[in-house]
Amino acid sequence: MSTPYDIAVVGGGIMGSGAALRLAEGGMRVILLEQGDIGQGASGVNAGTLSLQIKRVRLMPYALRGHQEWKRMGAEVDYRETGGYTLAFTDREADLLQERMTMKQEAGAPIGFISPNEVAVREPGLCRKVVAASWCPADGFANSSLTGRYYRHRLKAADIDVREQCGVTEIHRDEPGFTLQTSSGPVQARRLLLACGGWLKPAAAMIGLDLPVRARVNTVSVTERGPRLVSSVIGHATGLLTLKQKGNGTVLIGGGWQGLGQPGEGGNRGRVDAGSVLPNLRLARYAVPGLKELRIVRSWTGFEANVPDFYPLAGAAPGVDDAFLLGCVRGGYTIGPFISQLMGDFILGRQPELPLFDPARDFTKDIQP
Amino acid sequence: MNGGPRIVRDVRRSEPVSFTFDGSRIEAHAGESVAAALMAAGVLSFRTAPVDGGNRGVFCAMGVCQECIVEAGGQRVESCRLEVREGLVLRRVTYG
Amino acid sequence: MAEQQTPPISPIAPVAPVDVLVIGAGPAGATAAIKAADTGLSVVLADEQKAAGGQVWRAKSTAILSAPSTPESRAGDDLRHRLSASAATCLFDHRVWQIQPLDQGWMVALTGPEGPRVITARTVILATGAQERIFPVPGWTLPGVIGLAAATALMKGQMILPGQRVGVAGAGPLLPFVAHEILRQGGEVAFVADLNGLADWTKLTPQMLRRPGLALRGAGWLARLRAAGIPLLYRHGVRRITGDGRVEQVEIGPVDDRWKPVDNQQTRSFRVDAVCLGHGLAPATEATRMLNCRHDHDPALGGWHVATDDLGRTSIAGLYACGDGAGILGAAAAPVRGRNAAKAVLADLADKSGAGQTSPASNLRSVSAFGRAMTSLTIPRDGILDQITPETIVCRCEGLTRGDVEAGITAGGVSPNALKSDTRCGMGPCGGRFCQETAAMLTARLTGRPVEEIGLPTARPPLRPLPIEAVASDFDYDELPIPAPAPL
Repeated sequence: MSTPYDIAVVGGGIMGSGAALRLAEGGMRVILLEQGDIGQGASGVNAGTLSLQIKRVRLMPYALRGHQEWKRMGAEVDYRETGGYTLAFTDREADLLQERMTMKQEAGAPIGFISPNEVAVREPGLCRKVVAASWCPADGFANSSLTGRYYRHRLKAADIDVREQCGVTEIHRDEPGFTLQTSSGPVQARRLLLACGGWLKPAAAMIGLDLPVRARVNTVSVTERGPRLVSSVIGHATGLLTLKQKGNGTVLIGGGWQGLGQPGEGGNRGRVDAGSVLPNLRLARYAVPGLKELRIVRSWTGFEANVPDFYPLAGAAPGVDDAFLLGCVRGGYTIGPFISQLMGDFILGRQPELPLFDPARDFTKDIQP
Repeated sequence: MNGGPRIVRDVRRSEPVSFTFDGSRIEAHAGESVAAALMAAGVLSFRTAPVDGGNRGVFCAMGVCQECIVEAGGQRVESCRLEVREGLVLRRVTYG
Repeated sequence: MAEQQTPPISPIAPVAPVDVLVIGAGPAGATAAIKAADTGLSVVLADEQKAAGGQVWRAKSTAILSAPSTPESRAGDDLRHRLSASAATCLFDHRVWQIQPLDQGWMVALTGPEGPRVITARTVILATGAQERIFPVPGWTLPGVIGLAAATALMKGQMILPGQRVGVAGAGPLLPFVAHEILRQGGEVAFVADLNGLADWTKLTPQMLRRPGLALRGAGWLARLRAAGIPLLYRHGVRRITGDGRVEQVEIGPVDDRWKPVDNQQTRSFRVDAVCLGHGLAPATEATRMLNCRHDHDPALGGWHVATDDLGRTSIAGLYACGDGAGILGAAAAPVRGRNAAKAVLADLADKSGAGQTSPASNLRSVSAFGRAMTSLTIPRDGILDQITPETIVCRCEGLTRGDVEAGITAGGVSPNALKSDTRCGMGPCGGRFCQETAAMLTARLTGRPVEEIGLPTARPPLRPLPIEAVASDFDYDELPIPAPAPL
C-alpha cells in the first residue's frame, strides 16, 4: 500500500468537500470518499434556500458568514440575493412571526417588519390574506443541483484525491491512523473526518461511537416553467413553506415536510409521502394563487441529520484520537461552506474564527422520552 | 395548408363542432382529441419551447412527452388527451 | 353547492383496501384484472386513457361513431367487452401520480375527472406498458415529426393520418405497419427508411412463422408498398429534417451495420409534410424505479425493465408487473403475462405466510417468440449516435444539445443523477423519457463503459405532471395539518 494520506474525509457533500478544500489548502494530503456522487445527498437535493429568517438564533453568526460564502460562489451555483418575505396568515402566526423575527434581528440578521399592503405592492403574485410579514434583504437562494458540479470542479483543481461511488464498509484503528475498507480497496490515512450527513450514525459506529443521530426526511417539489409569479424567497411564519421561482421559471416548493425512509433503506434517498406533499402544495397554492396554472413535475426527498438539541456536531470524535465529526447542522446548506472551513482549521490546529460544537456534549437532557 | 387529413372512407363521425386555438376558429368533431383536430386543420405548431425557442407540436400522441400541451381554462393540458367540445377556448402556453 | 371531499390522504383513512389494484388497462393489465375478478378478488383497474386496450388495441375516440374493423380493433373490442362483463371496477381517465407502501399493502394516489382520490390495495399489479424509443436527429423537434407509435395512435384512435405525404423511418415492426396503414387509408408515403438490412429481417423468418397469420399480413404490407412504387430503403436512416417552423424536407442516407451514417454522397432528399420516426419500444420503468424494485438490463427485452419471476412478482412483496413494462415481449404475450400475474396475486393472498406456491407459468415462450424477434430488430446499435450532430437537441424539454450533454459528461457528470443535476438533462416535464437512453449511450461511449453499467437516474413522483389545481384547489386553511414550529 502507498504512503498513508494525512486525512481521509468520508462524505462528499458541502461539509466534506468544504473541509477537504480547507485541509488541502493547509498543506494536508487529502482523500475524499463518497458513496454516491459528489454533492448529490442533502447538499444537492435541498430547496436551495439561503434565508436568515429560518435560521436558529444561536447559529445566526454562522449563517451570516455562510451567506458571504455563497455570495462568493456566485454564478457557478446560480446564487441570487433576492431578499425574502416571511408571511403570517392568522393572528397566531403573526404573534409567532413577531416573537421569532425579533430574536433573529437581535442576533444580527437584517430582518425588518413590513406591512401587508407594502408586501402586496412589492410581490403582487402573493395572496391578499397576509396579516403580517417580515423582510430580509440578505435572503436569497442558490441552485442546489449545482453543488456537485461546483465542488467536483474545485476538488479537482485542488488536486484532492476524490473517489466517487466509493462506499466505506469498515474502519480499523491502526498505526499510524486508520485503515478504511472501501468498495475500491483499502485506504490508509493518519486522520479521519466523518462528514457524511444522514449516514453519520452508521459511519461513526464503525469507530465504536453510538451517536444520537436521526435523519429528517425533507421533501421538495418543483413545477414546470411558468410565467413570473414571485421574485423573492417566500416563507411562512411556521417555517413550513419555502418557495422561490428560479430564473428559468420553475417554482421550488419546500418547507421541511417529512417523507419516509431512513438512510440505508432501499434507494438511499428516502421516499415521498403524498400525505405531506399535498398540504405543502396547498400552503404554497394559498400563498401564491398563480400556482394553480402550473403542474408539479417532481417531488423528492433528502436526509437531514440531527441530534437531540438540533445543534451541529463539529469537533473531535469523543474518545477516538485523530478522528473528527462534522454534520447535523440545521440549515446546513447555508452554513456548510463556512462551518466546513472552521472544521478544517480545527483539524489543522488553528484557532477557528467561531467556536465549534463539541460532539462530546451531553445530549441526555434533550432526548425526548 | 397541409395537415393530417381525416380518414373518411366508411367512417362516420360525431356532429361537427368548433373551438378556438389562439383566437383561430377550428372545425372539428366532438370527442376528437384536440391534438388530432389541430393537426387535421393544418396547425402543427402548438407551442414555442421555452429554452431553444423552437416550435413544438404533437410528438408521442399518448400523454408522455408533454410537447403538445396547450392552455385550457388557465391549465396546461396535453392536447392529445383533451377532448374537443363545442366552444372550447384554447391558447398557446406562454412562459412569461 | 355540492360538497367537495378532500381526499383522505394523511393519515391514511381506514377505508377497506381492495385485493388488487391494476394500473394500466392494455392487454396485460385488463386480462389480469378480468382473471383476478373472475377468481373472486376485489379488483380496481385504473388507466389514464378513456377506455381499455392500451396502445396496441387502442379504442377509437368518441368522435368515431362507426368505422371498418381491423384485427386490432376486433381484439380490443373483445377485451373491452370481457372487461365490462367482469366484476372489476374500472377507473378510466385516471392518472396515478404516486404509489407508496403501507405497513400492509399499498396506497395509490390518483387524479381523475372528479378530482383527486386515494385507493388502498393489498396488492398492486403494474401493467404500464412501453413507451417509444426515438433517437435524436437534426430537426427532430420540428412540428410534423412524430413517433411511429404516435402515428398508430392517431390512425387507430383518432382516424387521422400523420400528414398528406409522409416519410417513415427508424427500426422495427412499426415501420411497415405504419407505412402500409398510411397508404391503405389514402395517404402518400414518400419513403420507408429502415436502419436494418433485409437480411436482418429474413433471418427472423422461423420465429415470424410462429404467427403465420401476422407474418402473412406483414408480407402483404411490404408487397403493397412495393407495388405502389414506394422506395423501401434498407440500411438507411434520416440525416436531417428541415423546414420553416414545420417539416418540409427530409434527407436520407445509408448506414453501416452498426447504424452509423456512411457514404455521404449517397443521400437523397424528399419533400414531405410529416415524418414518422421510431426505434422500437422501451419498458416504462418509472413506477418500478420510483419504488426501488430491482431492474435488469437486457437489450433483447427493450433494455432496462423491472425484474420479475415467471409469474410477474417483482423484488418487492405485494408488487407485480406484467406486459411490456416487464420487458418487451409483444401483444400476443401480454394476456398470458396478465393471467400469470393474477395467478401470482391469488396464490400469495391465499398463502398469508409469504409467497404462495408457484403455479406453472403458461406457454409464454412460444407466444412471445414473434414479439422477441421483432424486439431484436430494435436493439440500439451504437452507430446511431453518429446521426446526432453536436448542435442537435437531445433533451427536448430543456433544449440541451448533444454538445451540452457531452460537456456535462466530460466535466465529471458520469452517473445519470450527476448528469441530470449538472446539466438539467432529463429534468423537464417528460421526466427524461426521451433523452435518458441517448444520454446513457453517450456516457457509455465517452467513458468506455458498457451502457448497462451506466444505470438509471432516480425516479420520483409524480408519475405524470401533476396539476397543482387538481390536488390543491379546494381546502380550508385552518385544516392544514401544520405541526409545531421548528426549535428557535
